[in-house]
Amino acid sequence: MFWRMILRTLVRQKSKMLMIAFTVVLGVSLSTAMMNVMLGVGDKVNRELKVYGANITVRHKEAALMNDLYGLSEGLGVTDKFLYEDDVLKLKSIFWGFNIIDFAPLLDGRATVKGREVPLVGTWVERHAVLNTGEEVHTGLRSLRNWWQQGFVGDWLGEHDDDFVMAGSLAAQRLGLKVGDTLTLAHGGRQKRVTVKGIFTDGGAADEQLLGTLKMVQELMGLPGKVSKIEVSALTTPDNDLARKAAQDPRSLSPDEYETWYCTAYVSAICHQIQEVVRDGVARPVRQVAESEGTILNKTTLLMVLITILSSIGSALAISNLITASVIERSQELGLLKALGAHNWQIALLVLVEVMLTGLAGGVFGYALGIGFAQIVGQTVFGSYIEIAQMVIVIVAVILFFVTLLGSVPAIRYLMNLKPTEVLHGK
Amino acid sequence: MANNRQKMYLRMVTSSLVRRASRLIIAVLAVAIGATILSGLVTIYYDIPRQLGREFRSYGANLLLLPKGDARISRADLKTVREVLGDDRVVGMAPYRYQTVKINEQPYIIAGTDLPEAKKNSPFWYVEGEWGSASRPDHVMVGREIANTLNLSIGDSFKVLGVRFGHAAEASAQDLSAQQNRVRDEGEQNFSARLVVCGIVTTGGAEEGFIFADVDMLDELVGDRFRGDVVECSVVAGAEEMEALTAQLESALPGIQPRAVRRLTQSQDIVLGKLQSLVLLVTVVVLIITMISVSTTMMAMVAERRREIALKKALGAENRFVIGELLGEGVLLGVIGSAAGVFLGFEFATRVSLNVFGRAINFPWPVVPVTIVVFVAITVLASVLPVRKVMDIHPAIVLRGE
Repeated sequence: MFWRMILRTLVRQKSKMLMIAFTVVLGVSLSTAMMNVMLGVGDKVNRELKVYGANITVRHKEAALMNDLYGLSEGLGVTDKFLYEDDVLKLKSIFWGFNIIDFAPLLDGRATVKGREVPLVGTWVERHAVLNTGEEVHTGLRSLRNWWQQGFVGDWLGEHDDDFVMAGSLAAQRLGLKVGDTLTLAHGGRQKRVTVKGIFTDGGAADEQLLGTLKMVQELMGLPGKVSKIEVSALTTPDNDLARKAAQDPRSLSPDEYETWYCTAYVSAICHQIQEVVRDGVARPVRQVAESEGTILNKTTLLMVLITILSSIGSALAISNLITASVIERSQELGLLKALGAHNWQIALLVLVEVMLTGLAGGVFGYALGIGFAQIVGQTVFGSYIEIAQMVIVIVAVILFFVTLLGSVPAIRYLMNLKPTEVLHGK
Repeated sequence: MANNRQKMYLRMVTSSLVRRASRLIIAVLAVAIGATILSGLVTIYYDIPRQLGREFRSYGANLLLLPKGDARISRADLKTVREVLGDDRVVGMAPYRYQTVKINEQPYIIAGTDLPEAKKNSPFWYVEGEWGSASRPDHVMVGREIANTLNLSIGDSFKVLGVRFGHAAEASAQDLSAQQNRVRDEGEQNFSARLVVCGIVTTGGAEEGFIFADVDMLDELVGDRFRGDVVECSVVAGAEEMEALTAQLESALPGIQPRAVRRLTQSQDIVLGKLQSLVLLVTVVVLIITMISVSTTMMAMVAERRREIALKKALGAENRFVIGELLGEGVLLGVIGSAAGVFLGFEFATRVSLNVFGRAINFPWPVVPVTIVVFVAITVLASVLPVRKVMDIHPAIVLRGE
């Protein structure tokens, strides 16, 4: 009898129940979409922030930064300490290898062009490789220098363009180079004829450089298999106290802390792991990029969390509001039930089950719709799918349950106080 | 007569609202929720570029001013630069003067700068110990590399030697004794000072090879007035704005070459654009859904009044009059609800801004009338649409209870 009554209400009161279900669909889809976006946004924004370039550099442990300052490093034999090219691909094999988005080795050299000394850098502009794990790697300097894209003339170097170079805008100006010109690079008695393939504008020191493939520069400098530094762009977790403590000295951590630290993508943990695979290498976070990434990431996530909370509260209120409204509306029907001898708890149960069933149906639709909204946001803004977080189902279900319950409370209290005669009389 | 009609109209509208107090609260709540979300999100959306733009300044200086040729930057130039850029845009502006000095007969570089400004410019520097300040000029910060090489820790002192302004360095002659060399080193053309380490700078970049000192102290040591080798500015501006600003600077100060740090300005445009479109899309989705749910609630509220309307019609009210009454109610509800909502929305936006960015938000006043108009329209539409059907129905049929 109970279920038949419920079924009858659901069918007869179709339009009203549909309206409740509709509002639940809207509310649930909103919360689902926002929570998924909120949980996924950190990862997405982190990837977007990779346009700032490398956040970790790896150098030889004895090649101090100071050499850079005085311009002593190249050619004078001050730093004859190098890393090995063989080690570069090993970066992808570390614990957090999956978080390493891009990397490129650089070899600083010097060459004489038309009687002038010009800095010459060898690198992987583009590089495809298959690791022994079978994983395919596609990386290179190109993705670490997004800001060269604007104002770029000509073409980027390909993987095997050993007879070509790219020139910085200032170097091109000084040497009078245009795309397609050929020039001779000379160093230590060796010579190489190359063609200018592209001209880039960096806005920094790189504007004075010529850029060639790593292989070509290694041959010209007589340094086969050597690189001066590796630039790495990795997805990292913003630092916390543990990470700061570990950055000072990983040995100061307790075993438990060490494990947590090692298995979290802190920039210091990734640096530590890189040092484990790169012989003689010292990996250091570029604080300008690493620290700022953390700031932006934290702010964006917090912003999204607050917007999510606002919209979830909004939809929760809207749902419970509508439920209250629609139950009060049915006072006449429920008054009749009371007059026919129904107990208060029976009516309350009836109303609750009806609303819950409607809410459940609306919730399922709403969840599906919400996933759709989240993907629209992901595709439009970031051009990739947002990962669906399973826990959102649980959170939304719990919220929905309490919202329908709370929404029914004022209505049920109203019903309790209902005087059948008054209602039926039409007041 | 007309006066009486108006009175009656007002009384009907208000009494219908007062009598149904519980329903009224529900309706006002629905509108208020919608208005809160609308005004709050729109405010945030408008203020995001400004707020986030400032956050992006944590990447450090995005504009460098270099002197053209052999000229140096003067204090007057700095003032002009600040005027051109506008005070509220400039997050930090630190002039740098580089001076080569000798420590233990090894060459090092001291960077003299306005340290508080440098701190604003480069929030990503990790300084062990304290930042130096103009009030304690002999306390300096050293880069991590230098600290390692010279084995310096906080509180240690070291001696620097250098050549005074206007003098040329004299190489130590081979035939002089150590004593004579020392006299030459400490002679008229050279300066020497004992400095104390108050902080060690770690950045992961070239800064680790510098000693950072107050620029006035350095000027005094060298014995001349301020001469800037480079000025680092951290300016709140996108790539396009930056181009306009550099052009302005170039025409205002012919001796200076402004250069935007492309890596920062362009990357910022890319990321900020993404974030802004994220917030825009989220705002649009939230708003659409909220609007729909507000209007469904309103419709549900009005649909139950079919009997009342039918009764009025039976008593001889014209359609026009009934609709007029509903309109009046809708407007009243919309105004009350959205006024409360705007207030709450502003409250919410302020909280968000304080929590996320630690700054007060700029409230765009046009949001107030827009929100009110939008929600009055929604309530009116939601009130009138479901009743339109009733108008065509014969009162008797409705009153009979079908």
